[in-house]
Amino acid sequence: MRKLMWLAVSAAAMLAAAAASAQTTPRKGGTIRMTAPYAASFGSLDPHATPRAQDDIVNKAMHRTLYNWDTAQNKLVLELAKSVSVSGDGLVYTYKLRDDAYFHNGRKMTADDLIWSYTRIMDGSKGFPGARYIRLIKGAIDVEKGQAKEISGLRKIDDNTLEITITDRVEPGYYLFSGTTAILPKEEASKPDFASHPVGLGPFKFKEHIPGSRVVMERFDKFYKPGKPYADTLQVLIMAEAAARDVAFRNKEIDTSILGPAQYVAYRADPQLSKGILEVAEMFTRSLQFNPAFKPFADKRVRQAVNYAIDSDLIIKRLVKDKAYRAVSWLPPSSAAFDKTMKPYAHDPEKAKKLLAEAGYPNGFEFELTTSQNESWGLPIVEAIMPMLAKVGIKVKPKLVEATVLTEILMKGEHQSLISSSLTGPDSLATLRAFYSKTPRTAGNYTSFNNPQFDKLLDDAAQEGNADKRNDLLKKANNLLYDEAPVWFFNYNKAVLAHQPWIHGLQANPTEITHQYPEDIWVDDKSPAK
Amino acid sequence: MLLVLGRRLANVIPTLLAVVALVFLLFSVLPGSFISGMNEDGRGAIDPAVMERMRKEMGLDDPLPERFAKYVISIAQGDLGRSFRTREPVTRLIGVRVWPSLKLVFAAMSFAILVGVTLGFVAALRPGSLVDTISMVFAISGLSLSQFWFGLMLMYLFALQLQWLPSFGYGDGGIRHLILPAIALGVGPMALLARTTRAAVLDVLNADFVRTARSKGMSERRVVSWHVLRNALVLVVTIVGLQFGSLMGAAVVVEKLFAWPGVGSLLVDSVFQRDMPAVQGCILMIVLFFLAINTLVDIAYVAIDPRIRYRR
Amino acid sequence: MRMPRLRLKGGTSLWIGGTLVAVAIAVAVAAPLIARTDPVMDANLMNAEIPPGLEFPFGTDAQGRDIYSRIVYGARISLTVGIVSQILNSLIGVTLGLTAGYWGGWWDDVVTGLTNLMLAIPSLIFALAIMAILGPGLSSLLAALGLTAWSYSCRIARAQVLSLKSQGYIQAARILGYGDLRIMFTQVLPNILGPLIVIATLGMGGAILSEAALSFLGLGIRPPFPSWGSMLSEARDQITTAPWLSVFPGLAIFFTVLGLNLLGDGLRDILDPQSTTRRT
Repeated sequence: MRKLMWLAVSAAAMLAAAAASAQTTPRKGGTIRMTAPYAASFGSLDPHATPRAQDDIVNKAMHRTLYNWDTAQNKLVLELAKSVSVSGDGLVYTYKLRDDAYFHNGRKMTADDLIWSYTRIMDGSKGFPGARYIRLIKGAIDVEKGQAKEISGLRKIDDNTLEITITDRVEPGYYLFSGTTAILPKEEASKPDFASHPVGLGPFKFKEHIPGSRVVMERFDKFYKPGKPYADTLQVLIMAEAAARDVAFRNKEIDTSILGPAQYVAYRADPQLSKGILEVAEMFTRSLQFNPAFKPFADKRVRQAVNYAIDSDLIIKRLVKDKAYRAVSWLPPSSAAFDKTMKPYAHDPEKAKKLLAEAGYPNGFEFELTTSQNESWGLPIVEAIMPMLAKVGIKVKPKLVEATVLTEILMKGEHQSLISSSLTGPDSLATLRAFYSKTPRTAGNYTSFNNPQFDKLLDDAAQEGNADKRNDLLKKANNLLYDEAPVWFFNYNKAVLAHQPWIHGLQANPTEITHQYPEDIWVDDKSPAK
Repeated sequence: MLLVLGRRLANVIPTLLAVVALVFLLFSVLPGSFISGMNEDGRGAIDPAVMERMRKEMGLDDPLPERFAKYVISIAQGDLGRSFRTREPVTRLIGVRVWPSLKLVFAAMSFAILVGVTLGFVAALRPGSLVDTISMVFAISGLSLSQFWFGLMLMYLFALQLQWLPSFGYGDGGIRHLILPAIALGVGPMALLARTTRAAVLDVLNADFVRTARSKGMSERRVVSWHVLRNALVLVVTIVGLQFGSLMGAAVVVEKLFAWPGVGSLLVDSVFQRDMPAVQGCILMIVLFFLAINTLVDIAYVAIDPRIRYRR
Repeated sequence: MRMPRLRLKGGTSLWIGGTLVAVAIAVAVAAPLIARTDPVMDANLMNAEIPPGLEFPFGTDAQGRDIYSRIVYGARISLTVGIVSQILNSLIGVTLGLTAGYWGGWWDDVVTGLTNLMLAIPSLIFALAIMAILGPGLSSLLAALGLTAWSYSCRIARAQVLSLKSQGYIQAARILGYGDLRIMFTQVLPNILGPLIVIATLGMGGAILSEAALSFLGLGIRPPFPSWGSMLSEARDQITTAPWLSVFPGLAIFFTVLGLNLLGDGLRDILDPQSTTRRT
């Protein structure tokens, strides 16, 4: 049944993608009007300075990274290099860089630009968030600590050849595709006003930024993909308010919009709007994280009982309006380490009661649940689980905080439980490290998970060179998490992007649906925007 | 005139200083920080080493008195610090928001004055009549509306149903994008102005000197246009000033709803992302605007009614 | 000639306003009796988003809760927010205003400075800051709205003391051997009660609207208890799919605030006939 649903969903997504590219010859020219839905402004247009999804919407158009996520093939691909060879020990990567990539100021990209950009990110006097990725490169940490000026693991062989030595046997693409590791031109990026006049390698070049309203970019003619981009102009319009975005979309003022559960239902039911819906299973897992420092949650049976007591399917169907996929364990189904034979926790209040009694809580207990106001993984979900848990005797005291504060609470660890959303891909090994006992709480082990068996599996996976064997180990680790239930496994996000009939070439990017590679997008002449 | 200005300034400076101190203290005890907030979209925690570095760079770990002293000194030099988010000077960040904010506030106030004062006058000239009742019910209804709800309704009606106006955003900065947010923001002050104008005009109409003028045989038209208008104006100016000054701050909701790039939406966004230098700068801007408008109002008093100079 | 008709009008708004407010208060007081279900725990996702009908007069919300019952209980929260915050504001304002006017000197300067400060920072922004510090919740909300809007009552109290002072009342009372506090509370306070009640009544409406605005900004009441503002704010995304979710809380807010404003206007005509024009 679940499998069937999956098939149906992926078929629907494919159909949507097919419909989006039905008109085969892309039109040159026109204006693309995308929306930035996550905040009322952009942070920085310097891609190194910001890890926020909102800012990456714009940065994907203006900047490029060594790797990219190819949505059609659902994997990482080389972007700024034409080929790569790997040494036998899996630690030395030699990249043949593109010789046709130009910055918007007209200068050609060389190996020096990668070296300079990666070194800038490691500047120990600046807090560039991309440092966590570049640290994979050998010697980067010395630069960070101020003990070296240059990253020893980066070696320029010639202008178009770069050798990168890494410290662990992992796929560097997972690290070097992050928007925070974009390649920037030194002569521009070292100017103090770079963030207001960004220059990069992307298909669109900066034209104007009205803070709080929009960023406008125009076609960069020397972009390295022939014939691309198609559109003359790309506008990214800031629209944080979902209700207002709905009006603007229906009023044809924007070409794309992100839908919440309520609008997802409405758009699906509408004969016209339903033709322009793009869905994707995003690599985000929504869960209620138990803190074992709170006594009842130290007991595995109690954690399992919560999983049994909540009718997750009902919440997903009725409240989230099917705008999510039921979570089985921590990793999402798109991960190669996902075990397709696993079934999620059943809704079984009797079993929950039994487990609670065995754990010494026959009459239940009370706990405080910290939550944000988020409509998909916050307050509405908490309100829905309250009556369900009450039926097995567990009383929930919700504590509402701002989303900004959630991480800080998780890091301090003084909460009893907390409901949140976590990025769970595409790097499954890195994702599962959130439950590795040696990962400090501040670095992401928010459930203080400590299980020797799990640690062993991860250690082995990190050493394993063979991808299939590694995935098997990770699969076991992920299944172990299912049984240990450090969290209530709620759902994996289904991201939904609504688009107008005249826009084509949109990608169902599972790492973040708003992150479109705009060189592939084109608008036909029915668009009201000139 | 200069005297008024001087006296105002003597009042304004301590108020400003107090605002700086208060805002600084309030926002230094806020839970959460810009850095931990960077993970709010769940894209993985920032790594602890980077976090620590950012805290240092932003001076978040310095003792409070030291931070405050630094802040006051830099303000005195006209420097509002650097935004955590954009790493730009706050003065520039706010600078680009001021013009859209002013446009919105002026448009809203124009709407409020035009509609409000007219309603108030019409109502006062025939107290108790149907016109009066309707105007006042209209005015009080305007005061009883939830702003974001009203804005949303405007959007649905004028953008989606009637397709007369764009629903959101700044557009090319022209008037079409300005109308809906201005009405949503102006309806409250409009209602207040309508009520005050009505009351003021009634007061004046019943005042001794108007009766005297009437009994002297002055035509009703002259009475209304000369005495009443002039005297009621003083009051209306007070209300306009008070409303006007606080409008930039009151615009946060409307700006957020309509994605209007003003100081208010920057403020809300900065509060939620804990970009403290930007928050402090925005509030300072809003307060400055309030004080500036009030000073102007004081000057306007003197211009309209020279007697005020002696009364003070 | 004109005066009687004016009276009548003040009377009508008093009556209409009074009735609306009385209904809201009655609903709040009788909530457990007239509500059909528990506003929080009686959620049934199988009944989510049912339009108004025989079974659910106002329909159900996204959680499958009876909107009618939530509105009824919401009256308690929204009115509490209005009443308590205004009591706080009046207490602070009157205390500061009375003492400042009475004692004068440096204390007067301090209070005047504070009042100017409060006037200069828009109250919504002040409230926003307090909510962000204390975190969402009813007590934070009461603090946010009750500590930030006392400047009007403070000014009125102070002005009244000064005017009585200049008329020699206070001197006289002192000669009679009255203590400071006694003079303040028996001689001064009764004189300003009228305008204070008017301000507080109008302020209640403002507080209910501010609660809605704060909810919209994401800093409202602590869940899952319903307040009209949070119900309205939550429902805004469903305005096309399930309009009843927002219509009923919207109407509840509108009529209650309208009632408070009419009542305030009406009371002003009776209690405070002189100062119609003095206040904003």
